[in-house]
Amino acid sequence: MAAVEIRQKRALTIIALPMVLLALSCVYPVFFTINAALKTRKGFVLDRFGLASDPTLANFAQAWNQSRLSEYFTNSVVVTIGAVLTLLVVSSLAGYALAVLRFRGAKIVFTIILVSLMIPVQVVLVPFYRTMIALDLVNSRAGLVIAYTAFFLPFSVYLMTAFYARLPRELFEAAQIDGAGLIQVWWHIMLPMGKPALITLGILNTLYCWNDVLISLLVLQDERTLMVGIAALRGEYTTNVPLLAAGIVLAAAPIVIIYVIFQRQIVSGIAVGAVKG
Amino acid sequence: MTGTTIAGRATGRDRPRRRMLGDDPGRLGLLFVVPALALVIVFRIVPLIWGFGTSLTDYDGMSAARFVGIANYAALTRDPVFLDSIVNMLILLATLPVWIGLPMLLAILIHQGVPGGKLFRAVYFFPAVLSSVIVGAIFNMLLRYDGSFNAMLKALGFSAVDWLGNSSTALFSLIAVQLWATFGMSLLIFLAGLSTVPSDMLEAAKLDGAGLFGTWWHIVIPSIRPIIEFAAVVTTIGMLTSMFGLIYVLTAGGPGTSTTLPEFLIWLEQGRMNRPGYASAISMVLFALMAGLAFIQIRIMSRNASL
Repeated sequence: MAAVEIRQKRALTIIALPMVLLALSCVYPVFFTINAALKTRKGFVLDRFGLASDPTLANFAQAWNQSRLSEYFTNSVVVTIGAVLTLLVVSSLAGYALAVLRFRGAKIVFTIILVSLMIPVQVVLVPFYRTMIALDLVNSRAGLVIAYTAFFLPFSVYLMTAFYARLPRELFEAAQIDGAGLIQVWWHIMLPMGKPALITLGILNTLYCWNDVLISLLVLQDERTLMVGIAALRGEYTTNVPLLAAGIVLAAAPIVIIYVIFQRQIVSGIAVGAVKG
Repeated sequence: MTGTTIAGRATGRDRPRRRMLGDDPGRLGLLFVVPALALVIVFRIVPLIWGFGTSLTDYDGMSAARFVGIANYAALTRDPVFLDSIVNMLILLATLPVWIGLPMLLAILIHQGVPGGKLFRAVYFFPAVLSSVIVGAIFNMLLRYDGSFNAMLKALGFSAVDWLGNSSTALFSLIAVQLWATFGMSLLIFLAGLSTVPSDMLEAAKLDGAGLFGTWWHIVIPSIRPIIEFAAVVTTIGMLTSMFGLIYVLTAGGPGTSTTLPEFLIWLEQGRMNRPGYASAISMVLFALMAGLAFIQIRIMSRNASL
């Protein structure tokens, strides 16, 4: 038995070598980008791959000010926060209604919301855009908030419903007997009890909204969100790699910080839906 | 249902309660799902039906629409750009085993205690949190003719290739970059599945002297079969519907049509604005492909929600 275990340990250690190479491939592009962002334009042309010998923050300043990234950054922050809060309120209300109040027809409503997972934005691109125009929601940040809520909602409702369905029913019944109205139950019991699921959803939806490009391209045409801005920057500055790299670092930084802080919640959020748990 | 009995019991107590909207679970429940339901219906379900209707007309954005039956769909079968996009999609779908096999292998290794497993998990998942725009812009720099990747190839004695500018390598590059950006996601799904494999089974296999690979083949892989299915469905849906951002930034569908997938073609057609009927027909084809897959995904998800 010990021999088998030692043999397995040795095999696993050997296998870890290619895994290290793969891990390097995950890290190198980020290193290259940060390194390039710290070089001057001339410095980059002279030495593309070496460490930035004379690091400068000028590219960040230029991307932030002249390339209007500060403006796009504000748009992304406003829209992401608005959409995430809306998603949390709407999905927690729906989850409460579907899992706890269990009104007549709850199953059908749950099915309809899940079925809309079958309809990604590409499938309804033309009519969705025309609906947005008809409702005067194009070129408005509120319009983008509504569009994000509509497209990222089904998974959130699913998760909240599944989460609330597993809470002990006695909680709800006890509050009722104490004379709490159903709205108070939502506010005083469902929201606090749902906190783990709401945090997971808050983080995942922040990633989705911040990273989106297709819906944003369609809805916010005059102004831009950060990702649309980066895509445009790439087209305009094909030769000024350090400037583009600085823009990329600025746009990705918030998400990377969130990932580092909330890694555990993100990981558990991804696993939901795949595994009964 | 349960809700009404609770309400009945509560009002039956000595302290009579005021009847108001907040006390009727049926009415309030309906009220609480209205925002979610309305958003989904207005922005997804009605547009889907509307889009299907449009796909049967010759609407050009200006003059009145005429019903043309399946003429748009018939035209699709003769459209070389659409056919190219379907071929590209089939090539992409043919790489599915790699998209499943690689993360599964890595997940099993991490699960079985490769040294530094936690760190590997964190690093492998890292690209998955980046926007496809960020990934696309970074790889645009790396895969250029004078980029890092070619520099490395040259250092190893190979010759440089214009990965994105050459129609025979562009699709392959696009697929590889998307795989790089998403394999960490599948890895997490597999790790979650592996955590449900009973460890006494693994111990028993070890006692029987089963080798590492024997254990994988006979115990680990069969017991995570449902997870493999789920990952395959989710990955395929991703292939059909989440490549837009990367195509938009990395190749813009080119050179020629070599990296144009159906979802990107819909975008191009939508931008031209002069034949919404035709664009809608492409959308419906994509929907037909999606629907079957999503149906399986929804079945798995509602089973796991245990409602």
